Amino acid sequence: MRGLIRKLPEERLEGIGVCPGVAIGNAFLVDDPRGRVVRVFLPKEQLETEIFRFREAARAAQVQVKKDIERVRAALGSDHAYILEAHLLMLQDRTLGRQIENFIRVNHANAEWAVRDVTQHLLEVYGQIEDEYLRERGSDIEDVAHRIIKILSGKEQRSLNEMADNSIIVAGDLLPSVTADLNPRKVLGFVTGIGGWTSHTAIIARSVNIPAVVGVRDITERVRSGETVIIDGAAGTVILNPSPETLIFYTEERQRQRQQALYDIEERELPAITLDNHEARLRANIELIEEIDSYQRFNAAGVGLYRSEFLYSQAETGQPTEEEQYEAYKFLAGMVGDEGAVIRTFDLGGDKLHLDGFKTERNPAIGLRAIRLSLSVEPVFRTQVRAILRAAAHGDLKILLPFVTNVDEVRQAKKIIADVERELSDEHILHEQRIEIGVMIEVPAAVMMAEALAREADFFSLGTNDLIQSLLAVDRGNENVSALFDPMHPAVLRAVKMVAEAADKMQIPVNVCGEMASNPAQVILLLGLGLRDLSMTPSAIPAIRRLVRSVKLTDAQALASHVLWMDTPAEVRHYVQAHLMDLGSELLAAAYPG
Amino acid sequence: MQQRTVTIINRLGLHARAAAKLVKLAARHKSRITLARADAPQKSADAKSIFSVLLLAATQNTSIEITVEGSDEELAMEALCRLIADKFGEE
Repeated sequence: MRGLIRKLPEERLEGIGVCPGVAIGNAFLVDDPRGRVVRVFLPKEQLETEIFRFREAARAAQVQVKKDIERVRAALGSDHAYILEAHLLMLQDRTLGRQIENFIRVNHANAEWAVRDVTQHLLEVYGQIEDEYLRERGSDIEDVAHRIIKILSGKEQRSLNEMADNSIIVAGDLLPSVTADLNPRKVLGFVTGIGGWTSHTAIIARSVNIPAVVGVRDITERVRSGETVIIDGAAGTVILNPSPETLIFYTEERQRQRQQALYDIEERELPAITLDNHEARLRANIELIEEIDSYQRFNAAGVGLYRSEFLYSQAETGQPTEEEQYEAYKFLAGMVGDEGAVIRTFDLGGDKLHLDGFKTERNPAIGLRAIRLSLSVEPVFRTQVRAILRAAAHGDLKILLPFVTNVDEVRQAKKIIADVERELSDEHILHEQRIEIGVMIEVPAAVMMAEALAREADFFSLGTNDLIQSLLAVDRGNENVSALFDPMHPAVLRAVKMVAEAADKMQIPVNVCGEMASNPAQVILLLGLGLRDLSMTPSAIPAIRRLVRSVKLTDAQALASHVLWMDTPAEVRHYVQAHLMDLGSELLAAAYPG
Repeated sequence: MQQRTVTIINRLGLHARAAAKLVKLAARHKSRITLARADAPQKSADAKSIFSVLLLAATQNTSIEITVEGSDEELAMEALCRLIADKFGEE
């Protein structure tokens, strides 16, 4: 910063990348989720003006309090005005004033930030007082601070949009309303301290396609407004104090991505057809309706997986009502049109339903969840089915049953769905009478039973993430073994093949909705194994479209059938790597390693 | 310089209203006035700052050392001691 020489070593922080892309810019720290007290790093020449701004606000606050005192005195007598008199004294207190002014000077801070920080510190000191009555006085300090800040921001509100021009927003967390108000053309990226793939910031970032990394612990304490920050939204990395070399590297990378984005737009309408004229269907996985923007931008061919349980994170009452669900599903149906959308029924654990007497599970991943929970708490399932059937009258919707391990589960679910359908008919409520019902293949038992399941199901959806975990007995979240999570394991490829063959035999379609469907090298194997209906996070679609257009299906088939019978994941990997170039695409070689 | 040790005798101690009265009274005098708890003399408070006075956390029966220095020190000391002895006019 101007006037400050700070040469700090480069620092890399890891978070969860929720929207890919590189952003390089100045950090803009928002330390209040409501976006009000905004920390701004001011240049030296502005500090005296800022101190003046604070003094003016403190003076205005005094005038307000004096008026309040008079009002209270007149109405209730002077005894009742004493708290306000204490407030007035606080506002006149030079100790406080000096501390705040000092803070502005030392930290190049804006007045709001200084008031907050200094009073926060005072509050901490008060918090340690033993006498309860005196400790209570902390709330007076808060009140006074609040009054000053309100005046500061009311008079000369620092609009986040205006301040955040060309910067990277850094915050502990952001309220949806704040994120939604930001102008995506002005914000380069987001970094937040908490959150995950489906936090609001993540969803909004994806929908407007701004690089974002969330879940970067303590980020607000490590970055100051004005400092240069690089974020790599694909890797989930945030770089502070980048070295010149790093800066050059990412500037070039950003340039490459911008070029790529232009190609993506040009290619947006191109069909996903292999060189030998076989069409693939590239669909979108979405969690929330808000993501539909990115669905459209990447020109997905329908929604292959709508994870309905995320309605729970939005429901006002903790449990989405039939109407809330109906509205969401209907909106989805309208947006996707003829391409259709697959709604996966709630993939929840019992903890989410707040069931009476529900015992905490030691291993909820293989506990009472998904279809098991739906069948054991029927009213919740019936409500969801009602909402889906009603919404399906307005567009092409399908039902997908998650975590099926047993043909009987499918039969039971179908019975309930048929029953709900009759109920709607009896009530003369508009609904879809013949909805397609699919089965999620994501546990080894379902692979083994694929043929039997295919007789019951209208379609399959292959959830490779869960399938690989359970097939290889690897918890991806466990760092000790996560490297063993390997989509190139021959066991995985053979399982995929079994599912594809069973579906083919029973003449039902199969869609792949796990991450394998968005990894170029793995997509070649999937194509080779006979899977051409792929569903992925929308931003992956352009790369996969390009990939599909650059290969011959016959080559992919040859590759797949060769590696299928190899002994080890390493052999598969090496062989695929060695042959990617033969397949005639430089893109592929660049896309590897998978 | 005047120095005197007094005890806070009102029931609620140096709470907001009492502190406000004390600070207002102190502010009417030119002298520098500091207060310190007898049990922690190193932490002294500026009697003209309500924050510092409140931070003394002087509850009932706390002994306070008052130091006044300046042209009106006698008057100031007299007035402060009277206010405290009067229980800040509370009870």
